[in-house]
Amino acid sequence: MVDTKRTASTRLSMFFNNDNVVGHVFAAPFIFGFICFSFIPICMSLYYAFTDYSLGSKVAVFVGAKNFLMLFEDEVFIKSIKKTLQYVFFAVPLKLSFALLVAFVLTRKSRMVTFYRSLYYVPSLVGGSVAVALVWKQLFARKGLFNSVLMNMGFEKINWFGSEALAIYPLILMAVWQFGSSMIIFAAGLKEIPSTYYEAAQIDGANGFQSFFRITLPCLSPIILYNLVMQTISSFMTFTQAFVITAGGPNNATMLYALNVYNQAFKYNRMGYACAMSWVMLVVMSLITLVIFRTSKFWVFSESES
Amino acid sequence: MKKKLVSILLAATMITGGLAGCGSEAGSTQTPDANESVSSETATSEAAPTSETPQAEKAEEKEDASEEPITLRMAWWGSQDRHDKTIAAIELYESLNPNVTFEYEYYSFDDYFTKLKTLVASDEVWDVFQLGGNFPMYLDKIYPLDEFIDSGVVDVSKISEANLKTTRETDGTQLGLTNGINTYGIAYDPAMFEEAGAELPTENWTWEDYQKAADTITEKLGIFGSSTFLTSDFIAGCSTYIGQQGSLGQYSFFNLDLTGMGFDDPQMLTPYIQMRADMIKKGSYPDAGASAEVTNIENDFLVTGEAAMTWVAVNQFPTIYNVCAEQGRELALAPLPKVNASGNSGALIQSSQMLCVSQDSEHKEAAAAFISWFENDVDCNNILQAERGIPANEDVRAALAASATKGQQIMYDYVDSVSKNPTPKEYNVLSPDGQDQVQDNYLNYIQQVVSGEITASEAAEKTYSDAQAIFN
Repeated sequence: MVDTKRTASTRLSMFFNNDNVVGHVFAAPFIFGFICFSFIPICMSLYYAFTDYSLGSKVAVFVGAKNFLMLFEDEVFIKSIKKTLQYVFFAVPLKLSFALLVAFVLTRKSRMVTFYRSLYYVPSLVGGSVAVALVWKQLFARKGLFNSVLMNMGFEKINWFGSEALAIYPLILMAVWQFGSSMIIFAAGLKEIPSTYYEAAQIDGANGFQSFFRITLPCLSPIILYNLVMQTISSFMTFTQAFVITAGGPNNATMLYALNVYNQAFKYNRMGYACAMSWVMLVVMSLITLVIFRTSKFWVFSESES
Repeated sequence: MKKKLVSILLAATMITGGLAGCGSEAGSTQTPDANESVSSETATSEAAPTSETPQAEKAEEKEDASEEPITLRMAWWGSQDRHDKTIAAIELYESLNPNVTFEYEYYSFDDYFTKLKTLVASDEVWDVFQLGGNFPMYLDKIYPLDEFIDSGVVDVSKISEANLKTTRETDGTQLGLTNGINTYGIAYDPAMFEEAGAELPTENWTWEDYQKAADTITEKLGIFGSSTFLTSDFIAGCSTYIGQQGSLGQYSFFNLDLTGMGFDDPQMLTPYIQMRADMIKKGSYPDAGASAEVTNIENDFLVTGEAAMTWVAVNQFPTIYNVCAEQGRELALAPLPKVNASGNSGALIQSSQMLCVSQDSEHKEAAAAFISWFENDVDCNNILQAERGIPANEDVRAALAASATKGQQIMYDYVDSVSKNPTPKEYNVLSPDGQDQVQDNYLNYIQQVVSGEITASEAAEKTYSDAQAIFN
């Protein structure tokens, strides 16, 4: 009896001391959340993409690939794809170069560096919030700050959100302004570059530009790749700015993809169609990420290889 | 050994933490069930003695109803003015019925329906909720009032048949009680018209007069002639424009039973779309960018002094009248312009919104009783001040008319004059599921006409085919 008890308790303690078990126990909250709030909804949305499900009626009739076929006849869908690509192609490179610039400036050894670094990080903290979007809306309004500055300098005022060609740029600018998280990652990367490289280059007579393009950029390229992928994905999913500032207008010129999905799902009550759109989005985003990874071997420098 | 102990402890806390999490969740879902079982128990224990004396039953039931604490959830959309008034009315009801407490939420129009749709999906619609002309979409969620009318919980004795009909299904089911009757008009600032030398609106002004006045105001004063380029442009403008053509009742945007279109020729829309595009080009009507700055009637361009006219659902008029009066301006209310000075007005009296009981409610009777009080009680409506539309109850209407402010008086007179207009025998002011998308596309097509991408006649074709696609 005593023997079996002892073996049972040692077995139990063995069980709990197993690295795998401990790991799973610690991961359990995440796994639970992931399955309940991500995995199951993802699977359901794949099913709903082939139905005419709507929140109002709650009846999901299987309609086959109809939702996907309808997408290609939908003017708003095509326009939202174009506008989202435009947004991503402008916002991501601008944001990354700005983040790199600021990170570069802020790696100098100076007392105030940490203060400034936190200061520049603030916009990213508040970035996704509705409050900032509302401020942005006011800044670019017909009688907003930017227009009064322009008019005081003797220029014509610009109808930012009324013009189809211009409306997307304030949104891009807002994304660029939120460069903080990429900046922090860049700053960490810059610190990792051994100062001996720069010293050697200096002795060889390289100027600042040369050492930036020949040393800093190549050494930083893995970090650039990481930031590029992360920012591209998050730019594709931009929602708040378009929803709060312009509501997609004028004439759908700022109808970013995520906003279009939201409208179809919650405003027009076509959840099935919206689910189909989300899956198309997943495919497009995966393709673009794949392209970035495939091209990375041409420009990402890895020290282990050389 | 120590290490082992620590890891076991940690694992144990994790597990208990997880269990506790689940436990509290289960507990919270159980509470309403527990309540329910308690209430059904009291109901059965009550039923036993009551079978002996039916009169005692009623008394006891009433007593019981006033003792049992009830929480009603309620939501509505509207302007700040409506929020303040409705909250005051709810507080009055709570003080009269101490057992009833309210959890209320209020939203802007768009946000209200976004929230409602998610609640529909999770079967958790508020006990008392507000619906407008788009109620056909939510029929499954509305608990009809008929049984409460029969049992006397809901009092409709002072509400006329015509008013009851506005919130009735075609099969005669009473879905809710109307918050008030309503119609569209154009609110304007006569002083601005005079300053610009534009002709003032008349009873029989046409869309050409309207455009001319707006253009003159823009030329002379440098402000928008009229406002705003939002959904009301479709509801009050474009769809009314169809009803104004032909003989009385010949055309309507959608047909009477919402199964198809109420007119055949898309080109009937063209002149209106052309006028809209011309006005936006000229600057006498705000474009989409400017209109996006207007989030509710209280910051409409007419109120901010940047436009001389705007669309109003007349229940909104007293609110903006008061705001402008504070600025020292006096607004007036004109009928919608017509296609021909001698033709149909196209204006229809309709229910502004109604309050409904939800299928998901656990306290349907209490919710119905509240709705009845909300529509019929004079004190309550003295607080509400007809902000949701002209009350359907005659006594309430008389009480309010006696103490009407200037803005309200204008509204009452206006609705009187509109109701004297000849109206088609039958009409339907409800909107089919899918109209939101038609509206949004319509506004985009007009912008495409403005930028020269398409012609007005193409925009009319596209709007028509979008609307038709609802029914396919």
